[in-house]
Amino acid sequence: MAQPTQSEAKQIVDPGIEKGAAGLTEDRIQAVINHVIQNETGARLKVYVDTCVHCGLCSEACHYYLSHDKDPRYSPVGKVKQTLWEMLRRNGRVSVDFMRRAAEIAHTECNLCKRCAMYCPFGIDIAYLMLVVRRIVHLLGMTPQYIQDTAHSHAAVCNQMWVKPDEWPDTLQWQEEEARGEMPTLRIPLEKEGADIMYSVIGPEPKFQAQLIYQAAVIMNAAGADWTMPATAGWDNSDMAMFTGDNEVMGRIKRDHYETAARLRVKRIVMGECGHAFRSVYDVGNRWLGWRIPPIPIIHAIEFYHELITSGKIRVAKKFQTPVTIHDPCNVVRGGGLHHMARELAHALCEEVVEMYPNCEHNYCCCAGGGVINCGPPWKSKRIEGNRIKADQLADAKIRGAKVLIAPCHNCHSGLEDINHAYGLGMEIKFFGDILYEVMEKPEA
Amino acid sequence: MKSFVPVWLAIALALLSAAALKAQEDMRTVPNDAFVSPQRPPSVFVHDAHNEAAGIDECNQCHHVYRDGELVADESSEDQRCSDCHAEEAAGDGPPALMDAFHGNCKQCHLENGKGPVMCGECHQRQ
Amino acid sequence: MHTIYEWVAGPLTWIAFLIFFGGLLYRLVRLVTLVRRKEPFIFTYMSLKYGLRSILHWSLPFGTVNWRLHPVLTIVTFAFHICLLAAPIFLMAHAILFKEAWGVGWPSLPDAVADGMTVVVIAGAIFFLVRRIVRPEVRFVTSASDYVLLAIVAAPFVTGFIAYHQFFAYRWMLVAHMVSGQIMLVAIPFTRLAHMLFAPLTRAYMGSEFGGVRRAIDW
Repeated sequence: MAQPTQSEAKQIVDPGIEKGAAGLTEDRIQAVINHVIQNETGARLKVYVDTCVHCGLCSEACHYYLSHDKDPRYSPVGKVKQTLWEMLRRNGRVSVDFMRRAAEIAHTECNLCKRCAMYCPFGIDIAYLMLVVRRIVHLLGMTPQYIQDTAHSHAAVCNQMWVKPDEWPDTLQWQEEEARGEMPTLRIPLEKEGADIMYSVIGPEPKFQAQLIYQAAVIMNAAGADWTMPATAGWDNSDMAMFTGDNEVMGRIKRDHYETAARLRVKRIVMGECGHAFRSVYDVGNRWLGWRIPPIPIIHAIEFYHELITSGKIRVAKKFQTPVTIHDPCNVVRGGGLHHMARELAHALCEEVVEMYPNCEHNYCCCAGGGVINCGPPWKSKRIEGNRIKADQLADAKIRGAKVLIAPCHNCHSGLEDINHAYGLGMEIKFFGDILYEVMEKPEA
Repeated sequence: MKSFVPVWLAIALALLSAAALKAQEDMRTVPNDAFVSPQRPPSVFVHDAHNEAAGIDECNQCHHVYRDGELVADESSEDQRCSDCHAEEAAGDGPPALMDAFHGNCKQCHLENGKGPVMCGECHQRQ
Repeated sequence: MHTIYEWVAGPLTWIAFLIFFGGLLYRLVRLVTLVRRKEPFIFTYMSLKYGLRSILHWSLPFGTVNWRLHPVLTIVTFAFHICLLAAPIFLMAHAILFKEAWGVGWPSLPDAVADGMTVVVIAGAIFFLVRRIVRPEVRFVTSASDYVLLAIVAAPFVTGFIAYHQFFAYRWMLVAHMVSGQIMLVAIPFTRLAHMLFAPLTRAYMGSEFGGVRRAIDW
């Protein structure tokens, strides 16, 4: 058998998991597991479990498995074995310790990136199976503390970061004022009904990355876009409840988002460079609410910037000189097919683009998404250890000249920053928006 | 000269029959040389012993004659080869293909009587 | 022996095929009703075009990244599955028995070819067995049932091979061959061997999701 990994040597204690575990009995666990299996799952779970021939071919897909020297406990099917198979085999009768480990696996050893669905010959959706486990964990009240806090924030103030109702328009007006120093005619139009575009962002942007709103405002104004931002709740497109298995809250905040856009009678929603928010609005939330496709078109920043460049609404003054490489975020590439546009955009903005391999749909995950980074500091080192393979990939791109890493996703961005530091890669990580803002022709001040 | 023809024919037939009788005494297998590429060893078949054990007196129980699709009761065909009538590939309404005819003649009879080999390798023995 | 043969080749074969086809139909109907009842959105997203596109890529040896990552396994898997299906269906002895019973036949393979394919299936089963024991990621997810399933699949081929060559105990081996084949047929709908039915469906669904919603490839 494979060697025990470092992370196992030091037991990580998560207050959220422990608090939930403290009050649990096996009866309660069994009741919840069987409730979820019988009432909330259907053909997919049954067929996926009945069809898997235990071949292990999904293993090579997983960055955790590859980063832990092919420790089978980290293979996608290995994680299913340690969670759902056992729950089903024992008819839901599992111990509190078992659930503690299941919570850890589902929340901190899988990013739901769905790469394994491309490696399983049968196309078994293991990310879905891990979400079923997270749902069980949620109903047992064992969700890791930090991510549960973001879900609470969603439930209470309809955004991820406890941004209060007055802080939001205040932040937008502050950024408008800042940006008017650079572009005096600039506006961030609030509550403009009938605008073409509603621009939506994720909670962390007003909380501690307000310069991204500034940049977006400059880009929108320079392009002459007819846009608006809501002054009310519904501005946050992010959705951590989607990753905690809190489907009810997930659906509620998605509905708020769509309804805000509907209230403003916009033609489409343009969103910032976030992956999981794209997944939640474009793929998951709409389904929960009963729409086959989102009721209002959702445009990711990659598509929007691509449109601005190809239509000539934004011109590049001087291309970005430092060689860049592109990270393909799972949710917009494997989940939205934006890798071709990302490359066209990168080539339009930058002098030199170095590909890293595997790329496009086969790119290695950042190991931050799927709510893993949101499980917070207790799990940080485990997350970084779990993605050595990404560090190797980045190092290879660096050897071939790339100095800047474009990561068009907030989670990827933060996760890759941690990897960058921990493995001493010395790369600079940017959003497309950072580069576009830097190289674009700006109207005369 | 013409009058000699039946005589010669009679002699030839007598010789052939003698040869055939001799052959059936020695017969250990059903020859499969009529098949272009036989897939199995020829079927084990000891003619006289079989008929004795099976109580077969009439030649035409196996060496049958069909005319217009009807079994002709009092004629037999031991002077012919099976493959003279049964081609390797059956054509339309004609007689069954050679292999089907063999299997039909042997295996079906064994099944009906509850005796004799019925599994592939019991007749098509290797060695 | 006559009685055993007639029993195994007759009623038992009937039962086996009825359970096989009936079982597959039952599993399919159960699946469709379950989807209708619990996850009707699956019908909404199912796409013939993208489903077939995905199945096609996964049906080609080396047609996907993961097949290319495992060249030996890919060759063995494809050879194993092709021979597993083709050898029994196109075996002359089976075609003859079917024709005797139903009056219709079909072209069959020369015995030597079918014999070779049988060897391929047996070798493939040995390969999978060794892989299951040797590869940690496979062994970790292996349970006793995986070995049983492998044995159920290999048994008709091993016994068929021994019977065909008449190495020993011919009659009993042939009976064992027929019975083990019947066990396999009966097992298919009710075990993970049902991937024969389900794999194209799960693949088609994932292909539909990737093609239709995610605008990405899944191979």
